[in-house]
Amino acid sequence: MTMAVGGAEIFPAGTARPGDDRRLTRVNTNEAVNVLVTGPLLDSERWRRWWIAFAVSAALTVIFFGSMIYLFVAGIGIFGNNSIVVWGYPIANYVWWIGIGNAGTLISSMLLLTHQRWRAAINRLAEAMTLMAVAIAGLMPIMHMGRPQYFYWLAPYPNTMGLWPQWRSALIWDFWAILSYLLFSIVFWYTGLIPDLATLRDRATTRAKRVVYGALALGWRNSARHWHIYQTYYRTMAALATPLVCSVHSIVGLDFAASLMPGWQETIFPPYFVVGAMYSGFGMVVVLCAAVRWGLRLEALITMRHFDIMAKVMLMAGTVMLISYATEWFSGWYSGRGVDRRFLGFEFAGTYSPLYWIMIFCNCIAVQAFWFRSVRRSLPAIILISVLINIGMWLERILIVWNTLSHHYVASMWRLFYPTLWDWLILFGSLGFFAFLYLLFVRFFPVVSMHEVRQLVREETAS
Amino acid sequence: MSAGTEISRRAALKLFAAGAAVSLAGCSRPYEEILPYVDMPEGMAAGEPEYYATALPLGGYARGVIVKAVEGRPIKIAGNPRHPASLGATDIFGEAEIMALYDPERSGTIRGPNSISGWSEFFAELLARTDKAKSGAAPLHILTSTVTSPTLLRQIAELSGQVPGTRWFAYDPAGGAAEGARLVPRLDKAKVIVSLDADPLGPGPMQVVLGRRFIDGRRSADQRMSRLYAVESIWTLTGANADHRLALPPAGIEAIAMEIAGRLGGGNAPPADLPGEARHFVEAMLADLKAAGQGALLLAGGSLSAAARKAVDDANRKAGAPVDRIEPPQGLPHPEALGDFLASLYGGKVENLLVLDCNPAYDAAPGKTFADRLEAVPFAVHAGCYDDETAGLCRWHLPLSHPLEAWSDLTSADGAVSIVQPLIRPLYETRSAHEVVALYAGQPTPSGHDIVRATWRQDETDEAFENWWRGTLVSGIVSGRAPKSSSLSPAASPAEALAPEDAARTPPKGGFTAVLRPDPTIYDGRFSNNAWLQECPKPLSKGTWTNVVSLAPVDAQALSVEDGDVVAVASVEGAVEGPARIDRGQAKGVVGLTLGYGRLRAGAIGTGLGYNARLLAPGSLGNVVAGVKVIRTGRRAPVPSTQMHFSLEGDLGKLLPEVTAGEALPGAGKPREPVPSLFGPGPAKDPYSWAMVIDTAACIGCNACVIACQSENNIAVVGPDEVANGRAMHWLRIDRYDLGDAAEPRHGFEPVPCMHCEKAPCEPVCPVEASVHDTEGLNVQVYNRCVGTRFCQSNCPYKVRRFNWFAYNSGQEYQDLGKEPMRARFNPDVTVRARGVMEKCTYCVQRISGARREAEKTDTPIPEGGVTTACQDACPTRAIQFGNLQDPASKVNRLRADRRHFTLLAELGTRPRTTYLARVRNPNPKLAGDSA
Repeated sequence: MTMAVGGAEIFPAGTARPGDDRRLTRVNTNEAVNVLVTGPLLDSERWRRWWIAFAVSAALTVIFFGSMIYLFVAGIGIFGNNSIVVWGYPIANYVWWIGIGNAGTLISSMLLLTHQRWRAAINRLAEAMTLMAVAIAGLMPIMHMGRPQYFYWLAPYPNTMGLWPQWRSALIWDFWAILSYLLFSIVFWYTGLIPDLATLRDRATTRAKRVVYGALALGWRNSARHWHIYQTYYRTMAALATPLVCSVHSIVGLDFAASLMPGWQETIFPPYFVVGAMYSGFGMVVVLCAAVRWGLRLEALITMRHFDIMAKVMLMAGTVMLISYATEWFSGWYSGRGVDRRFLGFEFAGTYSPLYWIMIFCNCIAVQAFWFRSVRRSLPAIILISVLINIGMWLERILIVWNTLSHHYVASMWRLFYPTLWDWLILFGSLGFFAFLYLLFVRFFPVVSMHEVRQLVREETAS
Repeated sequence: MSAGTEISRRAALKLFAAGAAVSLAGCSRPYEEILPYVDMPEGMAAGEPEYYATALPLGGYARGVIVKAVEGRPIKIAGNPRHPASLGATDIFGEAEIMALYDPERSGTIRGPNSISGWSEFFAELLARTDKAKSGAAPLHILTSTVTSPTLLRQIAELSGQVPGTRWFAYDPAGGAAEGARLVPRLDKAKVIVSLDADPLGPGPMQVVLGRRFIDGRRSADQRMSRLYAVESIWTLTGANADHRLALPPAGIEAIAMEIAGRLGGGNAPPADLPGEARHFVEAMLADLKAAGQGALLLAGGSLSAAARKAVDDANRKAGAPVDRIEPPQGLPHPEALGDFLASLYGGKVENLLVLDCNPAYDAAPGKTFADRLEAVPFAVHAGCYDDETAGLCRWHLPLSHPLEAWSDLTSADGAVSIVQPLIRPLYETRSAHEVVALYAGQPTPSGHDIVRATWRQDETDEAFENWWRGTLVSGIVSGRAPKSSSLSPAASPAEALAPEDAARTPPKGGFTAVLRPDPTIYDGRFSNNAWLQECPKPLSKGTWTNVVSLAPVDAQALSVEDGDVVAVASVEGAVEGPARIDRGQAKGVVGLTLGYGRLRAGAIGTGLGYNARLLAPGSLGNVVAGVKVIRTGRRAPVPSTQMHFSLEGDLGKLLPEVTAGEALPGAGKPREPVPSLFGPGPAKDPYSWAMVIDTAACIGCNACVIACQSENNIAVVGPDEVANGRAMHWLRIDRYDLGDAAEPRHGFEPVPCMHCEKAPCEPVCPVEASVHDTEGLNVQVYNRCVGTRFCQSNCPYKVRRFNWFAYNSGQEYQDLGKEPMRARFNPDVTVRARGVMEKCTYCVQRISGARREAEKTDTPIPEGGVTTACQDACPTRAIQFGNLQDPASKVNRLRADRRHFTLLAELGTRPRTTYLARVRNPNPKLAGDSA
């Protein structure tokens, strides 16, 4: 099972080869990095488990798009929304996916700017996650709309009636926030890929692969001038990304905060949404890292130290979440307004309160286990807590919608939300579609930024 | 293609032309001359609406209406201000007749013994049968519901003369007591009113008038206003509007009625055996009644015995209580009672039967016994608007025309007579009741128009009669002449009419007492197939599309039954099942049922909903059935409901404040500094700033505004499942809140249309500016710009917006509501909303536009009262006022300065244009300690 390129053995003696039972524990040369990352992409023999996962995700994707088509044909009445709880799953899904989308760019840009070198092993897969999550998030508001065929009316396109969107509406800010974030994420992710695409081109085994990767590499020749421009450009983009990451979820927070409903009209929403987004995003990165690491045997590149650091970040974020919730509770009580206090009572003891307590457990309590090093070093524990965080964060979003809309000013119109089959199909279908896209990415692109890891290896071996 | 089916070009064109002509004829004015209501401009312009005065029956009695027709198509019904039983307002049943007219399930064809048949075939068989009847072998039996049409009464009398042995029976499916003289209380003149299981404010032919009179007597909102006591066993609208209410089972009410009637009359009636609190209540009530002198008024309900009703009547007479006595017209035939008919039928004496416009197999004697007997009648003919339960058992079914399609006349409950003029030629091959009776009299091609005119023609010149006729059609009220009556009147004493009801009151001991009431929105079942009425929330429970079994909380607890649990109610004769509703304030030991449901052959809308309460005592029209059992079935059937929470928590009491008579609401009446706003100045000052003020003290909860709004604004019906999903579309809702305490629970009504906030929270959040403000202060929704994000409704503190989750009116209708000719009901001035758009109350912007157009023609401003909204027009008590704030003399300005004025959620700074006056309660100081 040796892999040959140009008829020569490429593995230095003493290092394990991909596919060996013995896991690679140290990566100490540029070539080892290249082999480790590109190997699976260029060898089509090794994808059986991938095919199984791909089939499952493809089935869910069919469900997702099938449900979407049915939705467009039958109308959004197929969801569980009613005249009082007019928002429902698509809004919660949207906020949740956008939140997940936040972490990738955050890892890439903020950690780049703060010289956190360890990010090199995970930033690519986090960025891909961002891209796909934001793309799915962008579909959700369209599925939420009563007349999805007119979604473009939110854009200020020239039309004969001289109509413009309404700039005071948070939904318009949101439209621009998603759009700019999506465009930015694509560009940022692709820019980071260019040197690696060139590596793939150079190592391609067939002409087709050479042509495709060659075209995508945009003529990268690894020259010093290229590197100089690249570094300047990439750092500038990273500097741009950081405020964008904050703005996108702040604006999502404003969708709720720029209203006058109890439980929504809170100034804390924008920062608390940003932290929440980072929190769930890190949770998702952990899950994806663990899966990719296992699937592609990248234990040598994605180490337990990475998980340890991410666990610490999540611990911090979870604690901030707790403080944010506590601030909400305090200000609700301190306002003295009857409606706010009753709203608090409804959160803690109302119909949805079991979900609320589960949310508090998932988002604030479970993560406290990360104070212990042994938990941070246990992969199953980290994965479990990360999944809990993502469940908790989804619950948080749906409860923000449900609690306020169900229990507002006029008691006669209090009403509950009961989800339908279609609500669930869209939610799980979107997860399947995400997995589908991610599996395609894993299959065709280098999941680890080779050029950055190579740099890291060089620096480490030099020292 | 075979030669036989080949059609030449010429023939094809002919067929096309014929088809086009038929479809045009579908919505045409009648052949005879009909005359528009008084204020019509001369000449008729295409597209301009026309208004005609006519009358519509409820329980047989007339309510005068003015019908709006566009291009020959009736689309909206409003009250006739000149008609004493309308006073310009309507009830839900009148408004909903538009839906009935265009009901695709309405019967359109004659059904013979085996198959679809024709009028001539029927007439041929009829002639043979009539000959037999004339020979005395098989006399004609006619069964009707209450008849007040002078023409029909004349025809029946004449027919009796023509065919000796003819017998006429009539009954009221709603169970109204048949009495010699009808008593119409002057609630406006009374000072202390005691309702003994009577429900003057509940559904019925006099609801509009009695509601108006009741509120007129309370309009002063100070100590001079009247006080209403209600003694009843299950909740009625009268109880909900009472200042004090006592819940007792029927036997207790009977005892109280006898006692207070006796003591008020100065006698010494035996004191009723009552628990302490009830005794205290009765003593305080009696003292109040005595102090009121001639202003004291007792009202006896149908559940009281004839003796108790007579005692109450005597007491009223003696005290000089304000009651109008409407004597039945002289010289007209009196019908025999239902009991007599059943005796004949069960005795096998009926061979020749005409069931005219009633449905006894459902609403009088449901069950196998009656069905078998009726099926066995050799020549049973059913004439009715629907091919219903009774029709299915008769040899012939004849389709009757809708009241908006046929000539007739009707008398109102207070004696006013109207000519019923058709607005539209019959949509199907139908005939009126008069024409059917004329067939029996041997006229093969009768004309309803001529028959009705013959009743009113006196010895006079043609010209004189035409003048009178036209004048009457124009005003909608017959004045200055009596109908031609027949000297031949079958003998029947009205006293006998009471017999069957009393016979049914030999109660088995023990068990529950079932109290039956006409359903608040379906009445006696006649309106079962009317989707507007099915979806209209019941005033107190807010349930829709079914009837419930109401239980007192203690009884429910004893049975371990919860809201929505299906319970069976069983009497000796039959049993029904329905979802339980636990009703705080219902008398212990009483189970409350409503009529009108449990239809088996009503049509796509009404069949199979709810239970038929008459099954408990088939053949009896009494509304009390004693000795019934209530059994838990273990199943659940939650009721589709438009409101789930009824209690006002904490400072939410601000939502529906209440003052005691003579008090002012704190903070009202003074101009207040508005809450500061970031959103700049309000809308530009046009000559008009529209505003609405709703007096919650005057709202009796009758729902007329809700249905009027639905009719005017093309509001969709969504069906029971969608109501259960919380998607009812009514733009105007009536919130009902629990007031009072457990000891004396009370209800409060609050109609909530759009507030038309000057700082509307819905506007800045819409991403596409579909929710905008116009210069006259209306918050308008641009349907074709709406993309359906629903942020507006999320941010609406009043939750008045409604979303089209499906194409409820444009392709995804409930049941057959999308079928022709249903679409003809739409108001052409109002957009039919598509799927995925938000909608809400517009203050009837189409009416404002219409008034503005008219005003611009003459270059004068729109006068006060120049624009009225549909809800305002319909309101029997005039609780809703609409007008221009820029006009300092306008009524809304005056009401805004009232000392009961308040703004809903004023603290939010939305500055609504719709504001309210607080509720008023006039408690007896001696009973004041009883409730908070």
